[in-house]
Amino acid sequence: MDNSSIAVSPKKTFGKALLYTLPMFLVTFMFITGGKPDFSDPARTVAILVTFFGMNLLYFLMHYSGKTDRYRAIIFVIFALTLSFTLIRNMILIRNSMSFSQADILECKIPFCHLVIPMMILPAALTKSIIFPGTILGGFADIASMVVLWLAATVVLGRGFCSWGCFYGGWDDGFSRLRKKPLVKKISDSWKWMPFAVLLLVALTAALTMIPTYCNWICPFKAVTEFEKVTNVESAVKAGVFISLFGGLVVALPVVTRKRTQCSFLCPMGAISTLSNRITPFTMKIDTNACTQCFKCVDSCPMFALTREGIKEGTVSMFCSKCGKCMDSCSRNAIHFGIRGVPAGTRKNFSRNLFLFVSFLFMAVFSSQPIVFTLNSLYNLIF
Amino acid sequence: MNKIKTTAGITWAFLGLILMIILFPGLSGFSKSFGTLPFMKINPRYSGGEVAFTQSAGACTLAVHKPVFNGLVRDRNTGFVQVDWRGKIPDQIRDTIDYDNDNVPDFVIAVDTKKPASDCCPLSGRVTGLGISSRTSFGWAARINLRKTP
Repeated sequence: MDNSSIAVSPKKTFGKALLYTLPMFLVTFMFITGGKPDFSDPARTVAILVTFFGMNLLYFLMHYSGKTDRYRAIIFVIFALTLSFTLIRNMILIRNSMSFSQADILECKIPFCHLVIPMMILPAALTKSIIFPGTILGGFADIASMVVLWLAATVVLGRGFCSWGCFYGGWDDGFSRLRKKPLVKKISDSWKWMPFAVLLLVALTAALTMIPTYCNWICPFKAVTEFEKVTNVESAVKAGVFISLFGGLVVALPVVTRKRTQCSFLCPMGAISTLSNRITPFTMKIDTNACTQCFKCVDSCPMFALTREGIKEGTVSMFCSKCGKCMDSCSRNAIHFGIRGVPAGTRKNFSRNLFLFVSFLFMAVFSSQPIVFTLNSLYNLIF
Repeated sequence: MNKIKTTAGITWAFLGLILMIILFPGLSGFSKSFGTLPFMKINPRYSGGEVAFTQSAGACTLAVHKPVFNGLVRDRNTGFVQVDWRGKIPDQIRDTIDYDNDNVPDFVIAVDTKKPASDCCPLSGRVTGLGISSRTSFGWAARINLRKTP
C-alpha cells in the first residue's frame, strides 16, 4: 500500500485557507449585494452582513479544517428552513394563508419549483407548452429562471445539486443528523432505484392527465410550503398524503436511519440528477492505494451511493450527491473529489478546491436571498 | 491518452467554473432567452387560452376565451371555456354567452360577487356546467365545462 497519498491532506494553514477564501469573499460580495451595496436600511444591512460573513466563514473553515460536509450541511439546512419561512411568509402576506386558492390557479400565480421539471418535459415536447399554473418570466419563482438555474447546476454539479442546490434537501439532511447513531441499520439499498419508478410514474401520469401529478398528489414538501385549500374530500386526502410523507420520509426515517430517505427513495428530480452525474466534470474518486477498506464511508453515505464491493473496486455509484460526508469520515483522504478523466489519487487538492469553489458559489448565492429575507424579518420582529 | 483525458476533464471543469460565475449575473438575460423558446408558454388548460372576443359594459369588460380541449397529442372530448370580467365589476353579473359566435346563445352565467355565488344555466348540449368560479385580482373569472360533441 502506497502511504504517500495520505500526505495529501485537504487541511490548510490559516493563511493559505484565508487566501483560498478571498476569491469567494469577493465574488459572493458582488453577487449578494448586486455590486451596489445599499446600507440605508439597518435591518437589511445586518441581514446581508451576517449572511455574507457567515457563509465566507464556513467556506474558510472547509479549507482550514479539510472537512466539507460538516460546514456544507449548516448552510444547506439553513437554506431549507429559510426558504420555507420565506415562502410561507410571502403567502401569508399576499393570501393570508399557506394554501393557494382557485384565483391563484386561474391567474397562474403558483410559485414554480424544480420538482415540476420531470413532469413538464413530455408535455413540453409534445404540446409545446408547460403544464403548470405559474409565470414564464417575472414574478416570484418564475419558470424560466428556475429551469435555467437547475439546468446549469445539473450540468456542472450533476447530483451534487441534491446536496448543494436543492432547497428541500436540507430538511431530511437536517433530520438525518439528529441522532448520533442510527436505530435502523439494515436497509436494502435496492430502494435507491425507487425514484426512477416514481419518475416514470409521474412523467407518464402528468403527460396523460396534463396535471403535475407529483405536486398534486405526492410532494412531501407541500407540508412546509403551500398546498391546495382543504375544501373537499379530495383536497383533504391530498393534504393527508403530503403530511404523512413529510412525517415519514423527511422526518421519522431520516432520524432513525441517518439517511436522506426522501431524496434516496422518492424524489423524481433526484433520479434525473442521478443520470446527469454521468456527464458532469466533477466526480468522487477512490484512491485504492490509500484506502484501508474500513468502510466508514459506506456507513456514513446518506444516499446509498457507496457499497463495500464498489469501494474494493474503487468505484462510486452514480447515486452520489457529492455532499462530502464520506470524505469527512475518511482519515486517510482515500475518497476524494475528483475531475472526470483525471486518475484517482492524483490532483486531490486541486480537484477539491475547484469543486468547492463551484458548488459553494452556487449554494451561497442561491441561498442568500431567503437567508437575508429571514434574518431581515427576524431583526424587524425583535427590534 | 491519459494526458488527453486529464486535459479534457480539467477543461470541462473550468468551463463549469465559468458557467457558475456568469450564471447569476447573467440569469435575467439567460432566463429571457430561455423564456422565448417555442415550448415556454403556459398550457391553455392553465392560462385559460387566448381571448376570443371582448365586450364592454361601462367600466367592466367581458372577455370570452377560446374553448380549451387540449390533450397530449390530440384534443380531448371534454374541456372548458373561460370567461373573465375585468375592471369595475358589479355586485350582480348575469350574462348570456355565445362562446363559439354561431349566433346561438350557449349558456347563461350569473355571479353574485358579494356572497359570493355563481350559477351556470346551459343552453347548448355542449355545455355541461360550471367549473371554477372565483374573484381574481383583475375582477372575476369563471370556467364553464364543455364537451366537444353534444
